[in-house]
Amino acid sequence: MTAVAGADVRSARLRLRVRNARSFVRRFLGRRDGALGVAILAAFSVVALFPDLLVGPLQTVTTATGRQLEAPSVAHLFGTDHLGRDMLNLTVHGTRISMTIGLLATLVTLVIGVLVGIVAGYVGGATDTVLMRITDFFLVLPTFVLALILAPIVLDLIGTDAQIGGIRATLFVIVVVIGITSWASTARIIRAQALTLKERAFVSRARVIGASGTHIMVRHILPNVLNLIVANAVLTFAGAILTETTLSFVGLGDPFDPSWGQILNAAQESGAPGLGAWWYVAPPAVSVVLVVLSFTLVGGALDEVLNPRLRARR
Amino acid sequence: MSGRYLARKGVQAIVTIAFILVLNFILFRMMPGSPDRVIARNLPAPVHAQLLERWGLDKPLIPDQLVAYVGATLQGDLGDSYRFRGETVVDVLAERIWPTLLLFGLGEIIAIVLGLGLGAYSGWRRGGPVDYVGNGVSLVLYSMPYFVIGMIVLVVFSAGLGWFPTSGMFTIAATYASPLDQAWDFLAHFTLPLTTVAIGLVGQYSILMRSSIIDVMGEDYIATARAKGLRDGVVLRDHALPNALLPAVTLVAINLGYVIAGAITVEIVFGWPGLGTLTVDALAARDYPVLQGVFLLLSISVVLANLAADIAYGALDPRVRT
Repeated sequence: MTAVAGADVRSARLRLRVRNARSFVRRFLGRRDGALGVAILAAFSVVALFPDLLVGPLQTVTTATGRQLEAPSVAHLFGTDHLGRDMLNLTVHGTRISMTIGLLATLVTLVIGVLVGIVAGYVGGATDTVLMRITDFFLVLPTFVLALILAPIVLDLIGTDAQIGGIRATLFVIVVVIGITSWASTARIIRAQALTLKERAFVSRARVIGASGTHIMVRHILPNVLNLIVANAVLTFAGAILTETTLSFVGLGDPFDPSWGQILNAAQESGAPGLGAWWYVAPPAVSVVLVVLSFTLVGGALDEVLNPRLRARR
Repeated sequence: MSGRYLARKGVQAIVTIAFILVLNFILFRMMPGSPDRVIARNLPAPVHAQLLERWGLDKPLIPDQLVAYVGATLQGDLGDSYRFRGETVVDVLAERIWPTLLLFGLGEIIAIVLGLGLGAYSGWRRGGPVDYVGNGVSLVLYSMPYFVIGMIVLVVFSAGLGWFPTSGMFTIAATYASPLDQAWDFLAHFTLPLTTVAIGLVGQYSILMRSSIIDVMGEDYIATARAKGLRDGVVLRDHALPNALLPAVTLVAINLGYVIAGAITVEIVFGWPGLGTLTVDALAARDYPVLQGVFLLLSISVVLANLAADIAYGALDPRVRT
């Protein structure tokens, strides 16, 4: 093949990709729920990226600007907590921490899940059997309870004040524990797809011209499961946020880097709900629900756009 | 149902439980304050060695210590609680399991009846007002951690309206004139946690049932039933519902573990003295033996629930009897 023809093929392929992407975006945003979800997530992402610009640095006991458990007012739009900290300030910083943990945990989950899924599906044989037995085990296990005992053990082993790459170790442990306990369903889905891809002509051709297994998995299988990975990532993100919130709520969070779940834990510990301090509960709770709901909506919309069978059913 | 199907499912469950036991053993070794670390603290070497021998900790981890651990566990010995001096883990768990069973047993039943009913109706009248509202509400509920629902319920009905007490199972240090008074007090404390659990579960069960009904409605036998001129209600009751219930109920059984694990957090909100509050207290006190006991108990229950679901599915649906 000459260089000119190669460039032609490449630019034609690029045009096709752009056209596909455009039609995808149009179809996706044409669904109102998907568009709404994206808008809400975009707003939360902006808040998560620039918390200091919006509300200043995270307030502590010493820098608290209000009195204890003040109801919402002009000075404190969301009220104050039991230490007099501004709830808006706490919630905005909680957004940064919850979204960061959610994102990192999703990445860990996907890396493990995709790796296990592709290797099991492509290599097959005994490797597949062993990997799938482990996957099934993790699917059956109440993984949240496992996370519940794994997290404090790891925390006690490395110490709660340790830092890993500038991130407080407590947050890091939560990320890893969520990853370890939630990759199994991703692995199953990716394996099923890898199994069918393996039988396709382009894979056997690559094998015939002497491509190694690793090369085929990275260059031929992985790009073809990207769709699935994206659709899966959205739901994984929602699950990670829920798990993080629950783990923090039961006391495994970091009081110095409060996520939404950690704020709710502090509210519960201080007895705020029983005192009727709804403003201590509402901001973090509404944030969790909005973000998880948006991910669910986006996931549903993605599913229907990417999966023609579902589209026909509606 | 063929014996082979039963046997295969049984073996799978046993293998899974064996995995869980090994995992629990490994976690025991990892945890801070594991026996040899506690013993090794500040002791002269000969005494230390003697102690290790006394507890069998000088033997290799695998197989000797593993066998000893599995043997003890199978005999119902889960060790002693760190926090409650002199109480075994089994005692602690036995005391706390009843409130949890009561709360979730009743909550599950209410949620299954309501959720499946709502889901079936929404799916059948897809696009109708009930479906529109029901689906929206279900999605929002599905996005809420259970304890958040609990906190909202608590703020509104307990702190705000003052209708119910805020926490516990009975009023502290109360003396009752009659058993009826006591029962009334219990009900007052029980209502909010029960409502929370039911609300928390209804959303997902309704979503499950809705999609199950919608799947079934695309089947040929529904078109046939309609073509025969059967009334709408008859098609729903005799043709769609029985077929849609099966996968929905199975999914409910399979999800039981996830649901209960997340939902025990409801107990924390209401100070309900069950496994959830036990877990959190054990977590705060780093009472590892109790945590491991909770994990063992919950994971084995989940495996057994799955097995029951598989068997029920096999008994009811001839297509999976292989």
